[in-house]
Amino acid sequence: MSSFLLSWIVLVPLLSAIILGLLYLYSIKIKKLSNKVFAIFGLTSPFISFAIAGLFFIQMLQDGKTIHYEAYKWLGVGSYNVSMGFMADNLSIFMILFVTFVGGLIHVYASGYMKDDEGYGKFFFYFNFFLASMLLLVLADSPIIMFIGWEGVGLCSYLLISYYYKDSENVLAGNKAFIANRVGDFGFIVAMITMFYYAGANGFDYVSLQNSIGNVPIEIVTYIGIALFIGAVGKSAQIPLYVWLPDAMAGPTPVSALIHAATMVTAGVYMVARFHFVYELIPNVGLVIAYIGAFSALFAATIATKQTDIKKILAYSTMSQLGYMFIAVGLGSYSVGIFHVFTHAFFKALLFMGAGAVIVALHHEQNIFKMGGMKKHTPVVFFTMLIATLSIAGIPPFSGFFSKDEILLSAFASGEYLLWGIGVLTAIMTAYYMFRLFFVVFFGKNSSEDRHIVELPKSILIPLVILAVGSILTGFLGVPELLGGTNLASQWLSEWKNTSLHIDHTTESVLMLINVLAALVGIFIAYKKFYKYDMTKVPKFSGMIWNKFYIDEIYDVLFVRSIKRLSSFIAMEIDIKIIDSLLMGLSSKFISIGHLVARVQNANTRFYAFVMLCGISLISIYLIIELR
Amino acid sequence: MDFSILSVIIFLPIFVVFVLLALPVGAKGSRNAAFVTSIMIFILAMTVYLNFEFSGYMQFIEHHEWITSYGIYYSLGIDGFSLIILMLIATLIPCAFLLLWNGRTKAYWVNMLLIQSGITGTLFAQDLILFYFFWEAMLLPVFMIIGMFGTGNRVFSTIKVTVYTIMGSLFMFICILYIGVSFFEEFGVWSFALQDVVKISSFTRSEEIWLFFGFMIAFAIKIPLFPFHTWLIQTYSNSPTGGVFLLSSIMAKLGVYGIVRFVMPLFPDLYIEFAPYFVWLGIFGLIYFGIAALMQTDIKKMFAYSSASHLGFIVTGIFSLNAYGMTGALFLIIAHAMATGALFLLVGKMEYNLKSKNISDLGGIAKQAPIFTLFFMIMLLCIVGLPGTNGFVSEFLIILGAFGMQASAGIVSALTVLVAASFMFWMFQRAILQDTDNDTSNMKDLDLKEIIGLAPIAFLIIAMGVYPDWFLFKIEPTIQHYLVDILQIKAS
Repeated sequence: MSSFLLSWIVLVPLLSAIILGLLYLYSIKIKKLSNKVFAIFGLTSPFISFAIAGLFFIQMLQDGKTIHYEAYKWLGVGSYNVSMGFMADNLSIFMILFVTFVGGLIHVYASGYMKDDEGYGKFFFYFNFFLASMLLLVLADSPIIMFIGWEGVGLCSYLLISYYYKDSENVLAGNKAFIANRVGDFGFIVAMITMFYYAGANGFDYVSLQNSIGNVPIEIVTYIGIALFIGAVGKSAQIPLYVWLPDAMAGPTPVSALIHAATMVTAGVYMVARFHFVYELIPNVGLVIAYIGAFSALFAATIATKQTDIKKILAYSTMSQLGYMFIAVGLGSYSVGIFHVFTHAFFKALLFMGAGAVIVALHHEQNIFKMGGMKKHTPVVFFTMLIATLSIAGIPPFSGFFSKDEILLSAFASGEYLLWGIGVLTAIMTAYYMFRLFFVVFFGKNSSEDRHIVELPKSILIPLVILAVGSILTGFLGVPELLGGTNLASQWLSEWKNTSLHIDHTTESVLMLINVLAALVGIFIAYKKFYKYDMTKVPKFSGMIWNKFYIDEIYDVLFVRSIKRLSSFIAMEIDIKIIDSLLMGLSSKFISIGHLVARVQNANTRFYAFVMLCGISLISIYLIIELR
Repeated sequence: MDFSILSVIIFLPIFVVFVLLALPVGAKGSRNAAFVTSIMIFILAMTVYLNFEFSGYMQFIEHHEWITSYGIYYSLGIDGFSLIILMLIATLIPCAFLLLWNGRTKAYWVNMLLIQSGITGTLFAQDLILFYFFWEAMLLPVFMIIGMFGTGNRVFSTIKVTVYTIMGSLFMFICILYIGVSFFEEFGVWSFALQDVVKISSFTRSEEIWLFFGFMIAFAIKIPLFPFHTWLIQTYSNSPTGGVFLLSSIMAKLGVYGIVRFVMPLFPDLYIEFAPYFVWLGIFGLIYFGIAALMQTDIKKMFAYSSASHLGFIVTGIFSLNAYGMTGALFLIIAHAMATGALFLLVGKMEYNLKSKNISDLGGIAKQAPIFTLFFMIMLLCIVGLPGTNGFVSEFLIILGAFGMQASAGIVSALTVLVAASFMFWMFQRAILQDTDNDTSNMKDLDLKEIIGLAPIAFLIIAMGVYPDWFLFKIEPTIQHYLVDILQIKAS
């Protein structure tokens, strides 16, 4: 198969986005188009990309070769040459497959979810554009092209968080996301530029960089690794740049499912795996990454235990699961981390879409303590959500169990027992807060009579079922040898596998048992406290955890307000009172000199005559002296 | 060559002005004439562009006697750097005229035409005296247009900007005369031609330093560099749309152009010696003006600061002494001219419709005017430097250039990714997106003419971001010429 098709994986959603955008403008300005027109373009493009990626996948299964395609020379200055190049290797094609597949399902879901929205066409324009950017990010063959996709997804994230832009709160959330991501981008750019100067002489694509990174002094590599990771922290919402993710839930729920759960936020993990050749040289930085991941996981899980907004709970759980992924990639087990990205995409998308279904059914209610009893109203949502919740909690044989187990296993095998301990603790909390949500929403006793449940369309329910099947099946791609599996995912990603870890089967079984027990403990506590919860007794929330440790407030004082104050100080004090008044002072000196001189013009003829006389006398004296 | 295309480009608008003044033409007729003139200049500029050869040297040279006894010639020429600015002028001005279409008087259009002549003259002049002549001449119509059609305290602003820039230029004029006399003393003939005066070797170091800063002050005020920027905020705020458009998108760049055209070849040693300071001064300006922009409530003032911030960054690029920084600076000149120019035009439209440019009076524009918002957004993203726009390519290259000079400069300059984003998005939210209690129902969406005016700008912003290499090949030899022939060889 000719390799130029690789670019069409990106181009199809991009072209579709452009068409959608133009159609939308046509629709609002000239003649209103029906939703179907937009849906045709919006929904087909992800599946076309998926099909093309599938063809490449099959080809790679057969010959095992990485596919490169260079569309054109993007920029050439001095010794700096970058092509608009695409690369399908085992890692990127793996990502592409599930991004397009899950993305496609979320598109279908969105076509039902957004059906009454005025901006239906605009929504799919953004959604397709997002997908194109995400696919560019993954398929890029050099950091700078990746960065184009990286920022593209950031822009779409901004646009979709602020989708209901009339309310300033939503746009503020969008701004926050954009700025927090840009802090990360600062790191990304610094890393890219340093890499270029030290390792870019022979080309700036991943393959060349991988070959030349060995000659770079190790301090510089360390610094590159840290700077890159700052980028990952921003995009993947880890401590300290996570603050945007909970607020990002202001966007429509399909956005939360696609961008802020299944795909974009995992880009940071993908980036670390992509730059594995950098991180392999600097295991200490990797350890820092793992710890930041572990603390983010624990921190987010702690906050999630006390939230009431269903989407916020899921947002914190996303941050927490991303923390797990960073534990894995930080410790060098890239394939394990990516496998969790993969399973997480299914069950987290499913959780969000289930939550969205409940929200729609209850006329946009998001507080879980105002839901309750949804089991009988929305049975399909109930069953699919159960599968997803079991999966994220880590109960076998659901997918989350296999991927999380592998992460904790690699932490233990690396001898990082503290990381492992944090991971297990977080697992207990995860099971607890997820089942708290589950029990309250589906079993809570809500006696209010006047509830009117909206019927859910098929376009919402079918994707839920498919993803639920996925949440069960995907785990079987990563069944460890201990359980008689072959771990297909890790074989496929063998280049990204951590081969240095070995652990005997007894320990592995014990660890696995501990994980299952941890999940069961969490579920049990949640069951005791929240099964058939009486919704009339809504708990009062206060304290540190409910207030999210006041981090938002602290950041506000530290960064936002101080910069605003500095801004006023510069514009009002320094510029106007110092620089400009110095300048005007100088000019007023000239004016006063002018006034002084002007006094001479007093319209007194005798005075003028006198001055003339003086002048002539002086010239005469001068001439006499000169000529003598 | 008898028929010189460059002279036609300079004098066609002046000729049209004479015709307009001689005939009893009304506002509409003047506007149509101005628009046709700008289109003709675009065609002429395209001819220049297509016939321009791939080399770093002066082309389309034209040489006539002017004040022969003092060796002052009317000599014009163009190289890759001026070519890019010419194309910018030729493309942007007709687009801008489409957005200024309604409600302007004859005097307004006359002044717009005169400014165009002044700008192109400054750009082509190869003789120091001729350059100075155009440099000052382009100020007069600006003075008129702000004084006649500005808002707020317009008379004060216009006098302030004029006196301030003339003061700065006087230093340059003295330096030019000094250079001429020095040339006469060394070679025995008079000449002010750039290609001659660069041969002067008799300057002592202190003379050179005085002359260097004499030129730099004139250009620093025009750009403006910190701390010569205070005229800018008021002037931009009080200028009429057409004036602020030309000031921000083109005239500010002529300061940068002046540095590259005159300061670099005249004083290559000092240029290299002082380069790190100017790199840092540019970065300082980038951040300082960026922070100052945040709390501005007048959108035009905010864009004035934003403009100053980016121009600081352009200066960083031209002083970085490597191909990345130089190319990036050229790219940013283009990107910034397009985006800021278009933004001022859009704000001008908003001011025209709603009689206000204060953020606190606006809001709810997005639902009133979706196409307006779309274009506003594209320009904003270019200013913010989002990949996919030419803003990113330029910022990335300048950061690379600064890093090449000093790693720390590169790292600090990478903060640019945060600077514009912080104030731009916040402004966009308050002024355009969110609903407020303000009545903005008078806001009209762009009409077809305005869309035709903005579409090429938006297209170029994106095309240059998606396929930058295609736009680089004409300027690359020029940049190599500056770096190798002027800086490396001359300095040693």
